[in-house]
Amino acid sequence: MQGMGTEVVRFEHVSKQYPGVLANNDVTLSIIKGEVFALVGENGAGKSTLMNLLYGLGQPTMGDIFIGGEKISAQHNPERAMQMGVSMVHQHFKLVPSFTVAQNILLGHEPKRGRVFLGTEKSNEIVRELSKAYGLYVNPTDTVGELSVGLQQRVEILKALRTGADVLILDEPTAVLTPQETDELFAVIRRIVAEKNMTVILITHKLPEVMHVSDRVGVMRRGKLEQVLITADTSEREIASLMVGRDVIFDDLRTDQPAGEERLRIEGLCASSDRNLPALRGVDITVHAGEIVGVCGVEGNGQTELAECIMGMRPQTGGAVLLSGKDISNTDPRAIRSLGMSYIPEDRVSMGVDTKASVQENLLLGKQRTKAFSFFGIHQRRGQIKEYANELTKRYDIRTSGTDELVQSLSGGNMQKVVIAREFSFDAPVLLISQPTRGVDIGAIEFIHEHIIEKRNEGCAILLISADLDELLRLGDRLVTIFEGKITGRFNAGEIDKQEIGFYMTGGKQDTKEGERL
Amino acid sequence: MSNSLSQSIRALFRLKPTQKVNRDYLVSLFTAVALAFAVGAVIMLACGYNPIECYGALFSGSLGKPRALGNTLAKTATLFLTGLAMSVAAKAGVFNVGGEGQLYMGAMAAAVVGAQVKGAPAWVVVVLALLAAMLAGGLYALLPGLLKVKLKVDEVITTIMLNSVAIFFCSYLANGPLKTAERGIATGTDSIMKAAAFTPLIKLSNLNTGIFYAAAMALFVWYLMSRSSIGFEMKLTGDNDRFAKYGGIHTGKLMLWSMVLSGAICGMVGMLEIFGLHRRFITTVSNEFYFDGMLVAMIMRYNPFGVILMSFFFAILNIGSKSMELTAGISSELILIVQSIIIFFMAAEGGIRKMLSERALNKRARAELAGKEVGVK
Repeated sequence: MQGMGTEVVRFEHVSKQYPGVLANNDVTLSIIKGEVFALVGENGAGKSTLMNLLYGLGQPTMGDIFIGGEKISAQHNPERAMQMGVSMVHQHFKLVPSFTVAQNILLGHEPKRGRVFLGTEKSNEIVRELSKAYGLYVNPTDTVGELSVGLQQRVEILKALRTGADVLILDEPTAVLTPQETDELFAVIRRIVAEKNMTVILITHKLPEVMHVSDRVGVMRRGKLEQVLITADTSEREIASLMVGRDVIFDDLRTDQPAGEERLRIEGLCASSDRNLPALRGVDITVHAGEIVGVCGVEGNGQTELAECIMGMRPQTGGAVLLSGKDISNTDPRAIRSLGMSYIPEDRVSMGVDTKASVQENLLLGKQRTKAFSFFGIHQRRGQIKEYANELTKRYDIRTSGTDELVQSLSGGNMQKVVIAREFSFDAPVLLISQPTRGVDIGAIEFIHEHIIEKRNEGCAILLISADLDELLRLGDRLVTIFEGKITGRFNAGEIDKQEIGFYMTGGKQDTKEGERL
Repeated sequence: MSNSLSQSIRALFRLKPTQKVNRDYLVSLFTAVALAFAVGAVIMLACGYNPIECYGALFSGSLGKPRALGNTLAKTATLFLTGLAMSVAAKAGVFNVGGEGQLYMGAMAAAVVGAQVKGAPAWVVVVLALLAAMLAGGLYALLPGLLKVKLKVDEVITTIMLNSVAIFFCSYLANGPLKTAERGIATGTDSIMKAAAFTPLIKLSNLNTGIFYAAAMALFVWYLMSRSSIGFEMKLTGDNDRFAKYGGIHTGKLMLWSMVLSGAICGMVGMLEIFGLHRRFITTVSNEFYFDGMLVAMIMRYNPFGVILMSFFFAILNIGSKSMELTAGISSELILIVQSIIIFFMAAEGGIRKMLSERALNKRARAELAGKEVGVK
């Protein structure tokens, strides 16, 4: 296909400058009609920025972009992009949950009955046809808020295709999907490319997906397009090393060691969600010293509540949590921390860091009253604090312009390293880790995984909650699947089939052997 | 133990009073002030006054004579105390709008103690009155604090409401049960012990020994906010209370205590007014002093050192405007316009600075890239 098809999109020496950051640096790239082009790179490599420029969210500082041979104007915006045949589905859905599928897809372009009234029946008919034309089946009268994430994404894609796009940009489309939903999405991509002769640009950092679905792959690093490869002629390892600029080793770092005594015991834990609906319905998990127990499941099945309950950030409605034999049910984070637990929360920005405080202040939290950093718990020993912050910054490779830098200006990966540096430095015997590498680039993922394994090898008991199955398979000694607030299956490392786990995660299968607690 | 005590004393001496005030921020602050003065000058010209004359009167009227300087300094003290009271609470994420009421309660408590404690040495009366005032102000702030922490009642509303309650309650006391029997006093409580009143430092001015208490309090608040572990915890709680709680800080307790401290400082302002100027409680003890302080605190983003500096500037405007009215004949309301414009420019400051720096960066990037391309060709 390369060199044969016609060109639909062309970037010519495109650069984009943000204050202090050159997000795109002299990118020249052609996209060919009828291909699936994967754009990969670490976080902050500039892939989303480049596609946003194409879609009209921002103008290039330098260089030109052509769509179908036509140069885009300085007033390029999403509406014009769609007229020119370019549509984009963002990572975070832009849907109205209380509206129906048809209302969402036709939002702002509703057919009218007469001059005033909305033609609901007509809308449904339009959506039904659209859905048929692309082979993306949805029920136009369903309420979007009640659909699964996979179906919501399908609605988003249909919305993007409504204007008859030639080029569809998908920004990290599989981040929230189950393995089955991911497979379905890829089938859809394949189909629209084959049948409608469309072009799909896929922004991702999951390499197996790239290998699976794309024709060509462009690797970005630090704003530059490093190389464009033909997928069939390359390997995951090659792409990964181009992304990070060095070889990444995907090796098992775990040492063989027998699990020690029981450190964390969760018994029949129940809790409610923010909307006061039951989120946990009797969860049992135990974690021993020197092992990592992974909790896998599709997001929104009680993982958030589970972590918050254990750490005392959310009231329990039933059951018990025992930390080294002591009941910590419904106590506060301070007490739980003093009994020896540290926590890396899933949401960095709202809980893991204070974005308006400096790196140094974020690293200090929890130790501000210790003898090492204060006199009588009152007067801050600024010299010691500074030294400590410098040392942690170095040890955890946090890239900042100095420890006085505000955390809000750090990248996601570096922000996460701040959280990890702080929480790991308490040397707590039990670690609760939630989504440790979400939105973090490959280099940092490797680094974070190494540190987690190191903690395990030192004898920490670790409960790891993650939506990334590959991460859990790589790190976990044992896995449990969670579905609708219940543990549905328990697995030992090494005897795990990915598809099988997918069934357990989606409630398709459930262990009936109750009482067989690991 | 004694070793660490001496260490901490030495550490206290090593304190540098210069909080790292962001240079960029100061530059834009001065720009805002200069722009405000310029706009003020245009208005003066439009009204047919000579701006140089007017501004001359403003500064000579606030700094020119010892008496004027004394008044300015006294005003400064009131402003920075109320401003710091606001800052202490705001830093921990509590918006105390009830300082005016807390000030009244403190003033009343001080007046009662000053008048009723008899036979004690003067300094004992001063100390007791100070404690009573801070207790009264603190307790009066505790109520909305508890409502916020325990029941999540919005403190902005409760504190505003409690202002009126306190002012009318004190006014009732001064006109009713506690009204003085002295002749010729329409409203007001008994006068305080004469020997306990603060002595003036500059003749005929409002400046008195009370300013030393104010300075001590300012130093304490500055230390607490910028150098202590408690200030650190307050900052984190104010920035992101979920994060602070997760990190093991008792956020509720901290919010409550900073609210109480804020109230106590306001109570102290009331006491200083009574013992320094009025010598008895009168219903006009404060003229919305706390709201001026809030303004200063917000402009300086609750930075204690900045609050003290800005208070001096606002005191100059406040005191100078009165003499400007007398000598140059221009209405003192004009100064209110200048003040408002400063606030306006300060509010826009962040946006303006961002715009300018973005434009500069873009320009530089373009130039750099253009240079590169030329080099290639």
